[in-house]
Amino acid sequence: MVEGEETNFPLNARDCLYLDWSHNNGHLCRPLQDDHEITIEELEMRYDTSIKKGLTSSFASQVLERDGPNALRPPKGTPEYVKFARQLAGGLQCLMWVAASICFIAFGIELARGNLASFDNLYLAITLISVVVVTGCFGYYQEFKSTNIIASFKNLVPQQALVIRDGQKNQINAIDLVVGDLVEIKGGDRVPADIRVIFAQGCKVDNSSLTGESEPQSKTPECTHENPLETRNIAFFSTTCLEGVANGIVINTGDRTIIGRIASLASGVGNEKTPIAIEIEHFVDIIASLAIAFGFTFFVVAMFIGYEFLEAMIFFMAIVVAYVPEGLLATVTVCLSLTAKRLARKNCVVKNLEAVETLGSTSVICSDKTGTLTQNRMTVAHLWFDNHVHAADTTEDQSGQSFDQSSETWRALARIAGLCNRAVFRPDQEGLPRLVVGDASETALLKFTELTIGNIMVYRDRFNKVVEVPFNSTNKFQLSVHELEDPMDLRYLLVMKGAPERILERCSTILIKGQELPLDEHLKESFLTAQMDLGGLGERVLGFCYVYLNEKEFPRGYKFDSDEMNFTTSDLCFAGLISMIDPPRATVPDAVMKCRTAGIRVVMVTGDHPITARAIAANVGIISEGSETVEDIAIRKRIPVEQVNKSDARACVINGGQLKDMSSEDLDEALRSHPEMVFARTSPQQKLIIVESCQRLGSIVAVTGDGVNDSPALKKADIGIAMGIAGSDAAKNAADMILLDDNFASIVTGVEQGRLIFDNLKKSIAYTLTKNIPELTPYLIYITVSVPLPLGCITILFIELATDIVISLAYEKAESDIMNLKPRNPRRDRLVNEALAAYSYFQIGAIQSFAGFTDYFTAMAQEGWYPLMCVGLRAHWENVHLQDMQDSYGQEWTFGQRLYQQYTCYTVFFVSIEICQISDVLIRKTRRLSVFQQGNKVLVSAIVFQLLLGNLLCYCPGMPNIFNFMPIRVQWWFVPVPYGILIFVYDEIRKLGVRRNPGSNTFVIVDNHPPPLPLVFLVAGCDLKHKEKVSAFFHESLFCFSRYFTSTPH
Amino acid sequence: MSANKEADGGWKTFVWNSEKREFLGRTGSSWFKILLFYLIFYGCLAGIFIGTIQALLLTLSSYTPTYQDRVAPPGLSHTPRSEKSEIAFNMNDKTTYEKYTKSMTSFLEKYDKDVQLDAGKFEDCPGKPNPYRKDLETDKTMRRACRFSRSLLGVCSGDADPTFGFKEGKPCLIVKLNRIVNYIPRVSLPSPTYPGGPPPGATSRQRPNLIPLHCTNKREGEEGLVGDIKYYGFDGGFPLQYYPYYGKLVHPQYLQPLVAIHFTNLTMKTDVRIECRVYGDNIDTSEKDRYQGRFDVKITISL
Repeated sequence: MVEGEETNFPLNARDCLYLDWSHNNGHLCRPLQDDHEITIEELEMRYDTSIKKGLTSSFASQVLERDGPNALRPPKGTPEYVKFARQLAGGLQCLMWVAASICFIAFGIELARGNLASFDNLYLAITLISVVVVTGCFGYYQEFKSTNIIASFKNLVPQQALVIRDGQKNQINAIDLVVGDLVEIKGGDRVPADIRVIFAQGCKVDNSSLTGESEPQSKTPECTHENPLETRNIAFFSTTCLEGVANGIVINTGDRTIIGRIASLASGVGNEKTPIAIEIEHFVDIIASLAIAFGFTFFVVAMFIGYEFLEAMIFFMAIVVAYVPEGLLATVTVCLSLTAKRLARKNCVVKNLEAVETLGSTSVICSDKTGTLTQNRMTVAHLWFDNHVHAADTTEDQSGQSFDQSSETWRALARIAGLCNRAVFRPDQEGLPRLVVGDASETALLKFTELTIGNIMVYRDRFNKVVEVPFNSTNKFQLSVHELEDPMDLRYLLVMKGAPERILERCSTILIKGQELPLDEHLKESFLTAQMDLGGLGERVLGFCYVYLNEKEFPRGYKFDSDEMNFTTSDLCFAGLISMIDPPRATVPDAVMKCRTAGIRVVMVTGDHPITARAIAANVGIISEGSETVEDIAIRKRIPVEQVNKSDARACVINGGQLKDMSSEDLDEALRSHPEMVFARTSPQQKLIIVESCQRLGSIVAVTGDGVNDSPALKKADIGIAMGIAGSDAAKNAADMILLDDNFASIVTGVEQGRLIFDNLKKSIAYTLTKNIPELTPYLIYITVSVPLPLGCITILFIELATDIVISLAYEKAESDIMNLKPRNPRRDRLVNEALAAYSYFQIGAIQSFAGFTDYFTAMAQEGWYPLMCVGLRAHWENVHLQDMQDSYGQEWTFGQRLYQQYTCYTVFFVSIEICQISDVLIRKTRRLSVFQQGNKVLVSAIVFQLLLGNLLCYCPGMPNIFNFMPIRVQWWFVPVPYGILIFVYDEIRKLGVRRNPGSNTFVIVDNHPPPLPLVFLVAGCDLKHKEKVSAFFHESLFCFSRYFTSTPH
Repeated sequence: MSANKEADGGWKTFVWNSEKREFLGRTGSSWFKILLFYLIFYGCLAGIFIGTIQALLLTLSSYTPTYQDRVAPPGLSHTPRSEKSEIAFNMNDKTTYEKYTKSMTSFLEKYDKDVQLDAGKFEDCPGKPNPYRKDLETDKTMRRACRFSRSLLGVCSGDADPTFGFKEGKPCLIVKLNRIVNYIPRVSLPSPTYPGGPPPGATSRQRPNLIPLHCTNKREGEEGLVGDIKYYGFDGGFPLQYYPYYGKLVHPQYLQPLVAIHFTNLTMKTDVRIECRVYGDNIDTSEKDRYQGRFDVKITISL
């Protein structure tokens, strides 16, 4: 095999599974051999079985031993230790590992030089590692919990199969089935393995979970096609038998079944990196390059000043390490898991923490119709009788309006619907929803009549059924003959339902308001209009009629023959039409609307009919009111479809057949030019093509799906969303997120949370980054100006890991407009960009540093060390043997006294950073609103908590010797306050400058007519060259300010 | 993924290529604006900073530190200094103790009689321990320092023996109480308050107006190793008439009273650990700071 083919392997294999089964000679494409083509006798020979007695139990157990159980092996689960290791190997984590090893090296060098006193580097390394490990455990635990929730949703009741072994019928667990077993299936069962059908009676299966076809497929013993997927004599594992009975020989079990092969193929589609992972990598890049640049600069400076090489090297390492934001990792992990938790409460279980954010960046949702947008149950939607269309209640909980039920005609119609119906409630059921055996339309009618006329099963018993002609494709009707409930009335009642035009053919009269009227042209026309109207709504329309059979012609005991149909089937009385649809879920239109305002495109991809698909799309708002397709325009303008300007049509419905003929460019073009897209009658691999096309156009795509056949698309999508109730295990395995209630509206909640987390992370990161500078400058000044060290390592760790995290976690609530903005552009709207880093570091960070140094010099001066005295003091100050060092007043200090003074400095610097960070958090957390308008109780309590923690560290006895915190004088808390105010005012002025921008488009303003004030701040943004950079600066540093200006809600 | 990296400006390109391209691609005026902005920005910040520091300095007294809680109670320091609390020398090898004697000589230079002649700067204080000078409340005028002649230190004065006894294996240590502005040590008489009370040797040297210094073996059971200790200066203590110190500005010639300890009978070739301590009411010792109100030293004399 050529290398190129090797890499494309999954796609080829998938193609051969779906498209070209029989002609493909690839080894993977021959799982079924020719089991469907050989004769029954050959089949018996091949599997040592008998179509009468089945296998012998002993042989069956041998085969079971050989082939293993008949169950889909879960895709090779990642071993737990690998999952854990992954938690330790993200972008930030790697940064911290590197930092920790640098610390170890630095410690090693110090140790080798005999400097035993300095254990700071060791502590730092240990802290870094423990932060990584602890957050790793946290993340791992969170994902572990999600996995458990998902696992709990798997079918707990083992599937049963009716198998014939040794000539005896037995119920056994389906997983014990082996190749060659003779099994029986009946309506309502799940097919327990791939089965060659050898006997069938009216057997229909629903293949939708495998192929996406929504029409039931009949199964017969004849081989009708050389392709095993097309032939009628094979029933596939995991499909559902809708009606009829069949028995057959098991030809494939477990992973060797078709479904098993598809499931295993999905695991071949690689996982893409999540957007947040990309963002964090980008962030780490920025941090790393800044750290190295800074470190190198000061390495050179230190060498110039005359430090030894090794000493300068240690400075270099210390600076690089100081750049690592220790607390950020914890912040990110905790933020993500808190959101994951919140989502889980809203029925979205996230398998991968990072997927939380992905949903927020989503710009296209490719949604399934059935079950996600709709209720996945046929429901009576409209009735036509008495020459009027009546709307039925289609809500999930029957909370809607019902129609007028007083008419005689209605009673007749309801009687037909109730009697001419083979669906039954499964016996012995308690609670709702009650399960029904029967096809979808009959189920709908059954439930409808049950609701409108009461207990239908009892009702049917009163009308004894004499004969029945089931629906078939040639007749297109179904009829039954009943005795009347009044024992004195000896007439038989014939009730019939079927395709409306076929029913109409057989009618000569029509029931209007209880009166039997002749069916004239006028009534026929209104019938046809009604039928067209209802069909145009995508509804399945059935006609109903009845007749009382003449008691003379058909006396009691008359032998009705269902095959001969020896009774009246014409000149019937037409009662009405009933149309059914799988109605949209109540919450969906609202959710789709929210998606629209949020700039997210909802694309429907369904296997259903274009008309139904379109009707539902219009119903839920995927196709908005007034949007037209090319075809609509053609009809309206009365011109051929070819002459219509395609760009005039907002909406577009493409069916699978058309899609097959389109090149990928055509598809891209179609997706580009029509904002409202519906794909109907699509096959599963076409779903994959659609997803790929969207991704080519730069969208971040979410895909919903439930069937096994969806799993490749779920994998391919940026975020795959599986359905918790209807979803197959394969789909759940391939997905990143699972909707426990199968409800599209939950996705919108997820989007909101995802966006919120992105914004909050952005704020937290900006906030966290800022204090890196006031943490670093003390060290730089210490090196270059040789003042006593203003800020110690342990103190920094306390800022990073204790006080700061508390603040970063003070979660902002969703701003009301968060869902009115467009999804972020992953190329432009970064989590962190250079401009934001520059603003945080060189402006706000600089102010904070000055605050720290002011407080530091204050504390030093008030204790006797004048600022200028401090300069160059380091060597003497740190001399352990110098016990009588003189200060500015001539007082003599022992080393121990100086050390405590140094700790005092650490503490005041710590306090300064805390005070300034309070101001920082205020400027970061608000966008347009004033701080006073934007109340955030969590934030306030976080600030209070932070201050309390600071006080505890300062004033708790014993702190000086444990954590190097000293009880500082009260007034030193207030020295940095002016700087805090300065930060606040500075940022407010900058915001004011932006607000003064009169235009609505930031780019234009910035590029062409820079107003003076913003220009200054733009320059400050440091990255001015490109439009993008400029806008990015605005975007980042103003926290979506520009989004507000640039977004044009449509 | 590689394409993605390129588009994003992966980290190598970020450090070098893209950055460099930006450096090169940026117009001069753009750079100028940026530099100008930061110049102004940092200029303003520095201005605010310097202003604040100036304001701070205005609030400070030039004579007395605002707070003294870190520097008091005073440390007890000795000359020569020890390296890691250790003084080790070979009494027969001059080079091994030269650094000690040198530092003692230079330390004692300002205690020479000759440099204390200027009557404008120095005054004679009582030769016996006397109460401290009670003129604390007066204004910030220049002060004269009490004379303290090194001859008070007897054999440890270095006048007779410039090796301060090191040559004979009987080394001297010169001890001073660290000076603190306006600080007055309080004598603990008659009943000492510190735990355990002063050892009998110290009690015997208690006088009014004198802070006694007393050295003993640090470890129990090593009494024999230390041998006899002689104290020179004002009865082996710090007399109160030398206090308080008024600060560098008004009291530049201030001389602290000294006490010399003479170890006359140290055990040779053994690590001898000695602890010295001053006993005053307001001189506490601290677990963490081993030079606060006391010190310990290990003396090892080899032959």
